[in-house]
Amino acid sequence: MKKSKKLGKRMGRSRMIALYVVLTLGSVMMLLPFIWMVSTSFKVENDIFSIPINWIPRKITFDNYIKALKVVPIAKNMLNTVIIAVPKILGEVFVSALVAFGFARFEFKGRNLLFMILLATMMLPYEVTMIPTFMIWSHLGLSDSYVPLVLPAFCGSASFIFFMRMYFETIPKDYEEAAWLDGAKNLKVFYMIFIPMAKPALVTISLWSFMGTWNDLLGQLIYIDSQEKYTVQLALASFSSMTGETLWGPLMAASCMALIPIIALLLYAQKYFMEGIKLGGIKG
Amino acid sequence: MKRSIILCILLLIVLGMFNGCSKKTNSKDKNTFTFATWAAGTELEEFQAVIDKVNEEAAGEFKINVLSIPSDYYVKISTKIAAKNSPDFFWLTQELISKYAKMGALADITEQFKQSDSLTPDMYYEGVLASAEYNGSYWGLPWIANPIIVYYNKTMFDALGVECPSATDDWTWEEFIDICRQISGREYRGNTVYGTIIDGWPNIETFIWAGGGDIIAKDGESIILASEEAKKGMSYLQTIIEEGLSPRYAEVASLGDNNVWFEKQRVAMFFGGVQDNFETKVDKMDESVKFEIGYAPMPVCDDGSPWSFDWTASTVMAKSLEGNDLAYKALEAVTKAFFEWKIVPPVKGSLNNVLEINPKKEAAMETIAYIMDYARSANYVPEWSDINDKLWYNLYVSLLNDASFDYRSQMDEIQAYSHDLISKRKSK
Amino acid sequence: MKKRQRAGFCFILPWLIGLIVFTAIPMLAAAYISLTDWDIVGNAKFVGLDNFIYVFRSEDFIKSLWVTVRYAVLAVPLIIATSLTMAVMVSKNYKGMRIFRVIYYMPAIVSGVAVAIVFKWILDPSYGLINGVLAFFHIKGPDWLYDPNWVLPSYLIMAIWGAGGSLLTYLAALKDIPQDLYDAAMIDGANTWKKVKYITIPLMTPIIFYNLVLGIIAAFRKFTDAYVLGGAGKEGNFYMVYLYEEAFSHYRMGYATALAWILFAIILLLTIIVNWTKKYWVYSE
Repeated sequence: MKKSKKLGKRMGRSRMIALYVVLTLGSVMMLLPFIWMVSTSFKVENDIFSIPINWIPRKITFDNYIKALKVVPIAKNMLNTVIIAVPKILGEVFVSALVAFGFARFEFKGRNLLFMILLATMMLPYEVTMIPTFMIWSHLGLSDSYVPLVLPAFCGSASFIFFMRMYFETIPKDYEEAAWLDGAKNLKVFYMIFIPMAKPALVTISLWSFMGTWNDLLGQLIYIDSQEKYTVQLALASFSSMTGETLWGPLMAASCMALIPIIALLLYAQKYFMEGIKLGGIKG
Repeated sequence: MKRSIILCILLLIVLGMFNGCSKKTNSKDKNTFTFATWAAGTELEEFQAVIDKVNEEAAGEFKINVLSIPSDYYVKISTKIAAKNSPDFFWLTQELISKYAKMGALADITEQFKQSDSLTPDMYYEGVLASAEYNGSYWGLPWIANPIIVYYNKTMFDALGVECPSATDDWTWEEFIDICRQISGREYRGNTVYGTIIDGWPNIETFIWAGGGDIIAKDGESIILASEEAKKGMSYLQTIIEEGLSPRYAEVASLGDNNVWFEKQRVAMFFGGVQDNFETKVDKMDESVKFEIGYAPMPVCDDGSPWSFDWTASTVMAKSLEGNDLAYKALEAVTKAFFEWKIVPPVKGSLNNVLEINPKKEAAMETIAYIMDYARSANYVPEWSDINDKLWYNLYVSLLNDASFDYRSQMDEIQAYSHDLISKRKSK
Repeated sequence: MKKRQRAGFCFILPWLIGLIVFTAIPMLAAAYISLTDWDIVGNAKFVGLDNFIYVFRSEDFIKSLWVTVRYAVLAVPLIIATSLTMAVMVSKNYKGMRIFRVIYYMPAIVSGVAVAIVFKWILDPSYGLINGVLAFFHIKGPDWLYDPNWVLPSYLIMAIWGAGGSLLTYLAALKDIPQDLYDAAMIDGANTWKKVKYITIPLMTPIIFYNLVLGIIAAFRKFTDAYVLGGAGKEGNFYMVYLYEEAFSHYRMGYATALAWILFAIILLLTIIVNWTKKYWVYSE
């Protein structure tokens, strides 16, 4: 703690100020689209596409939010999405870490080829495998169900496996070596040493998994029919119609509401990125 | 603490799974039908109400369940059909009826349609019915006719001292353009205003038909895009763009959608469907920005005949239900219910429904009544999606961006291309 | 040692099962479909390699491939550089850095459609944000998505805005660089730039490699925002947009699937190349 503070001071006042200025300017650019979304969500319909653009609504109204809530039961939709997301995260995160461990630390026959295959599965566009996949699930009687969306998660996710493998490879072998010498079993080594060390990475992929579910429109559209099962993205899609007009105000209101859980999660997960400092290193 | 969290999560998962699994109770109950629609949000509520009423009146003879597809409608429909899980009834816009019929996804309802006691082909306006026809058979029941009319801002016309068209005017395109010239570029309420707005809407048929031409001939097979009449019609579009009578293409999106320009009193005349709800919007406006809406039919063809492009959609039946009388009964019942929901109902003699459904349209009734006899939908072929792509990218957008674009030779090219496409199909 | 081999195999077993059950069958189906003429709704007609032959004669294919390649070549390095820079800037635990981290990552949490809608307004030629700001400096902004020459820059702007997506990965990696190394370098008199060049970047190469591979895949599979926004002169007609339209607007699923396999081959080739260069520049224990 003391050490980093000292180094901080050494960075120099002007340097720090410059850093903060640049970061703030950048932040403004990053946030502008969000500000527009929030601002629009509080605008009266006539005000939304006015010229010149108003950043601050001329008249603040909660109508859009009320309308949005009337059109879609957003809280229920969010709950539905969470019901899909939670098992999916559990499956994807733990299985991916497990598989990544296998790829990272064991040299079995065909490892490189299999890993290449893993990468390759990420390269074929989902749209062309979507119909054959749907045909299979439909044949099994599982259309209009969450099962097709959740079950595959228990076999890991290619990009997460890739990421975790990279991450594991950067962990010095010294740690496990000590454990192997003590005759520890593989699984134990895995979750006693690797998992704790990989906390930031695990939190990262958990967040990604959640976001993936939260933002997945096409997959949920194909496999969900009943309105009671609607997820957040399907709810948002209800605000623009193929033949009608887009309800901009309520759409922005709903989109803002949909962002809140993720931002909250992001803020909460923040602290895990501060914890990942490795112990000084058992260099020897 | 941790243990109880884990237990909670597990419980949530199990509950979710049960919620998420579909109980296939209606494994093809012979009298339950699924109806897929693109309606979502508020429209869906109205749709559901219509269906509920139909179910009630059916009193157990049949039951219709609603399947709403809020996005990527055709992706999901075609995927379900591929998986032999086609919705029993679904909405189809006019351009795709011939395609889906050719692909074998639709039930041929010609016999049942002709032999019906309550809804027969001759009850429909001919212009609308043509859209549900392909290869000599009927493939669906149209449930709406939404012809294009001209909405205009009466208040602006008066303020600028321009003579308004009348409700059943047979004005020509040249007169229309003249009016635009009198308005475009002038100042009104602190802004520059335009006579009209063209940004890809109205569709290209509007201009091709204006000259008396067409894209596909009545026989549904030959391409007549490159006729002199069609080219004359396109020249009207060119004039409008060249003289800046409409906002620039790149400028239109600044107000969101094209109808917003009319609502914010930036354009004097707007080509809109009868269904458009300007009246409701104007009613909700502040007094200071309200305006009076006037109605006129489309300017007539070069040969003096009145016309309008009719946007229509049909409800079609899945192929597997072909010949199924109960299904047809349900289809018919639901279609008739739509006549009391959407304007304009596509059957003759039901113009009163328009007032019942939307009383605000009263001032438009004269024009609507007038135009319904002349409105028609286009002739479509299964190759339409490719032809339309070319029409849009190579012809319409090019002209929108550059008034000096040589649309005439482009039309020749597209004609040749389309001709090739269709002959390929015929030779198969 | 065989025991270790078997153990390793056991660990990857779940993925292997998933590969066979959930991935292989659809992929085989897709392989077959690419050899047919299939309109989704009807039956598939076997046509052999016709689809692939047609591809090379198609103007739209060449155009969409060009648009995509050009974008990938520019966007991938741009995104990596931007993301790395952002990460380094917000990595230290100074006051308020926490908030910056969230802010820079936020663009990545919005769904593709929402991003497209918002940027449609930002890039609006008449009253959009960018041209509005430029007007303040008396510069007339370009027509962005309505001008064929400015479509690519439009998408690059969106890419930079979203670059923070890989922030978390870089932060996670940065956290793992032992502070001792920096301290040692400090003592040896190294300045910030030297520290970044000789310690930070080399130790980050595994994560950079990861983001490079994923970045290439993502760039070639770019779809949602391009589908919503398009671009003048077909400059926004990315490969996946072309593919999607062929499949679902023109009902040519066989052809679209062939396109998908070609894309697959291209991405695979690039990945193999990048993977082969791994030993030259990626650090590993």
